[in-house]
Amino acid sequence: MKLSCTQENLNRGLGVVGRAVAARTTLPITNNVLLATDESRLKLVATNLEMAISHWIGAKVEEEGDITVPARLLTEFVSSLPSDKVDLSLPANSKTLEVTCARFEARISGVDAKDFPPIPKVSEGINTRVEVNHLRQGITQVVFAVATEESRPVLTGVDAMFEGDLLTLAAADGFRLAVYKLPLATPVSEKTEVIIPGRTLAEVNRLMGDDEEVIDITVNPNKSQILFHMKNTELVSQLVQGTFPQYSQLIPQSSSTKVVVDVAEFLRATRTASIFARDGSGIVRLVATPGSGELTTGKITISARSEELGDDVGEIDATVEGEEAKIAFNGKYIIDVLSVLREKQVVLETTNPSSPGVIRPVGVDNYTHVVMPMFVQW
Amino acid sequence: MPIRVLEQSVAAKIAAGEVVERPASVVKELVENSLDAGASQVSVETRGGGVSLIRVTDNGSGIPPGEIETAFDRYATSKVSTIEDLDSIITFGFRGEALPSIAAVAVVEIVTCAAGESAGDLVSLQNGAVVEHRSEGHARGTTVTVRDLFRSVPARLKFLKSTTTENSHIARVVSECALAFPEVRFALAIDGRSVLRTPGTGQLIESAIEVYGLQVARDLLDIKGSDDTWQGGNATAPPVVTGMVGSPGLSRANRDYLSFFVNRRSISSRSLAWAVEEAYQGMLMTGRHPVAIVNIAIPPGEVDVNIHPSKAEVKFRDERTVFTAVQRAVRGTLVEMAPVARIEDTTATYTTPPASTRQLWGTVPTDAGATALPMETAHTPIASLPALRVLGQLDSTYIIAEGPDGLYLIDQHAAHERIVYEKARRQQEQRQTDVQGLLEPVPFEVGPRQDEVLRSGYRQLEEFGFAIEPFGDRTYLVRAIPAVLDGKDWSAMVRELIDTIIEGGGDNWSEDIAVTLACHSAVRAGQTLSDEEMRELIRQLEQAAMPRTCPHGRPTVIHLSSRQLQKEFRRI
Repeated sequence: MKLSCTQENLNRGLGVVGRAVAARTTLPITNNVLLATDESRLKLVATNLEMAISHWIGAKVEEEGDITVPARLLTEFVSSLPSDKVDLSLPANSKTLEVTCARFEARISGVDAKDFPPIPKVSEGINTRVEVNHLRQGITQVVFAVATEESRPVLTGVDAMFEGDLLTLAAADGFRLAVYKLPLATPVSEKTEVIIPGRTLAEVNRLMGDDEEVIDITVNPNKSQILFHMKNTELVSQLVQGTFPQYSQLIPQSSSTKVVVDVAEFLRATRTASIFARDGSGIVRLVATPGSGELTTGKITISARSEELGDDVGEIDATVEGEEAKIAFNGKYIIDVLSVLREKQVVLETTNPSSPGVIRPVGVDNYTHVVMPMFVQW
Repeated sequence: MPIRVLEQSVAAKIAAGEVVERPASVVKELVENSLDAGASQVSVETRGGGVSLIRVTDNGSGIPPGEIETAFDRYATSKVSTIEDLDSIITFGFRGEALPSIAAVAVVEIVTCAAGESAGDLVSLQNGAVVEHRSEGHARGTTVTVRDLFRSVPARLKFLKSTTTENSHIARVVSECALAFPEVRFALAIDGRSVLRTPGTGQLIESAIEVYGLQVARDLLDIKGSDDTWQGGNATAPPVVTGMVGSPGLSRANRDYLSFFVNRRSISSRSLAWAVEEAYQGMLMTGRHPVAIVNIAIPPGEVDVNIHPSKAEVKFRDERTVFTAVQRAVRGTLVEMAPVARIEDTTATYTTPPASTRQLWGTVPTDAGATALPMETAHTPIASLPALRVLGQLDSTYIIAEGPDGLYLIDQHAAHERIVYEKARRQQEQRQTDVQGLLEPVPFEVGPRQDEVLRSGYRQLEEFGFAIEPFGDRTYLVRAIPAVLDGKDWSAMVRELIDTIIEGGGDNWSEDIAVTLACHSAVRAGQTLSDEEMRELIRQLEQAAMPRTCPHGRPTVIHLSSRQLQKEFRRI
């Protein structure tokens, strides 16, 4: 193998695939990155067996070949090189990759590329395309709600339902549920439901470049793997096997109180209260009071108290429809959802202190967030 | 008092004590008789912890009319006739002690109908003597009804544990038999509730699903090459090991989930348990125990089942070979068939240190000054902690802090446990628990033995913030959990709690709940903490009522005084 490329491209490429390098593993070769010539490009691949990222960079290829070398070592070395041309060469029958750049030279012992885990090919199956800015917003607004502990594996993933020209993403961790609907640029041929690991989607979100407009998604026929195809990058991931809970029935259909409130103010008041809630399991209490007449608007008070530290109360203006409402939430859950919304206002719907609260942004109808309250004494 | 030969009725009662130790032993003897009679269906019914009623019905061969009364004579058996027969025992019973022993301490009624007989026979006995014998209609097989167990032996009655405990022993005995005989349909009803019902299809996995629940059964691996040999009762040497073992991801806090059978006879053996645990070496965390159902098929002559009155223990002629075979089979299964570990963050699980190691804690490896800390703790049991300044974290496990008099090392898990424990206790007393609702109710499934325990105490879980209610057979529905368990695996906590209660006898639910809750929600050893988190932890520990020990009694803080440091560095 003999080729040359620029230090910038190689450095960026190693950064892209680096997130898929296994951190702690029983299969040492997954600590390596695969370098392979692919026509006039250099292909970089890393995998942790759950997810694999491949990235192509432009290169001047003189001799075909492939090798794997320790990812961290190569990445750190390349990132410290000056911005110049980098020559990579692997003498025939050798396993030592020679890296040359300006007046620096390194020899890195590698392992044969044949021993690298095969990267699954996902070419057939359900295929569709999504606009990057839609997908990015969708992932951002649901992925934080996936479960972090693994006692119910399906909840560590995001449920993705492809139907016609609509993609519905849903995540739940037993305490909250986030559902986001976004349009598909190319309709799917048949209705398909898969569960994508939360980590995979977070990675896709990071990889989608600003210069891209659409991303290509393929699910293999037996729904075990998914491929995200971007301009110079491909991400293949295992899908979570199992059945995602029927979440539509968890979204309350009616409410007795509707509160419309400014997102930024609501967020600030919740953050403030959370400081005092730290001692008390994060409990933040909301009291929504309707306005008394035509001219006075309603208000919502957000309070928290701690046995030892004291308490705090914040008040913000709100349009309150229906009865006075009292409900307590884990402040973190409210902060999580309010921080990812782009809209200016949200509506909070509640029924009683022990029924789920629903948060929807005002002005769009593609996002629903359900939060279970905490049961407290008032 | 002159020496006399005991009256027969007194001698019988004393001898009965060896075989019939508690109601569960009666169930065991009767079920084994049913199995020896070749039954394909066995149903067991008990009331009042087995003291008021035990009824075992089978469809086995029955007892011919002429032999029924003889069956209740001591040393009467159909299974052995010469001493040489003992070398080839394949039946469970052989000594002829079970029925007379039971009859000596209870009111027994037996209805039986042997194959080929037109009508059945009924015999009732009181104090070991026949009081009635008449014809009675009965399908093929035998029904034995035992009433008023130990009523005539008040001393024994006094030593029985609570009804719940006795029920759980009965459930365990029947569960073991159900595992050993997957081809027999077992039904167990305790106080009118159906507790266990196996399909009798001959598939071990199906019995395991009924006994341990689907969640556990899903993670069981067949011991290599064990597809057809589970049935085999009279194999040839070398011993053949069959059954199922849990994958390494499946572990439990006690050894209750280890079942051993020799030629399908349920036995308890410390050394076999040890052999299996050795096979899991390096795959399980310390203090966790595997799940295993293991049968050893061995020629009857190679094993002596006659060393224990209730045959709960056996002696092998060649122990080493048997243990090696078990260990090799289990290890081989684990190595070959255990699923490849998924790549995920591993977190340490806290386990209770055995009492014997407790005094080791807190020993600083210095000689003279080493005793300083334990003594300080002893003198000031409710000593509050001085104000501490956090310096850093050691091993992602201990917080290093500076106090007015030297260095303090704080075990982050133990310290947090103490904080959560006190808080949980306080909230429970004031009936002001922080409760987080679940988005949808989650079903929680348990085994028959666990069910007995949980049924008696689930209401106490509610005081700590669980909303849990029975939901059909051996299933509970959980609607809300204590807020401290948010983001933690609460089902693991409840399972460990039940195991702890089974082990400890269950007399102090609320203490056990608070301790387990604290253990599961506390920050783990090995978790890196930010400076702010460490300061917060120390601040809360300073405010705890008993900051020096965790709820299990381990110290939370080790103090190295300035004086001690000076001495070590030879400054004074």
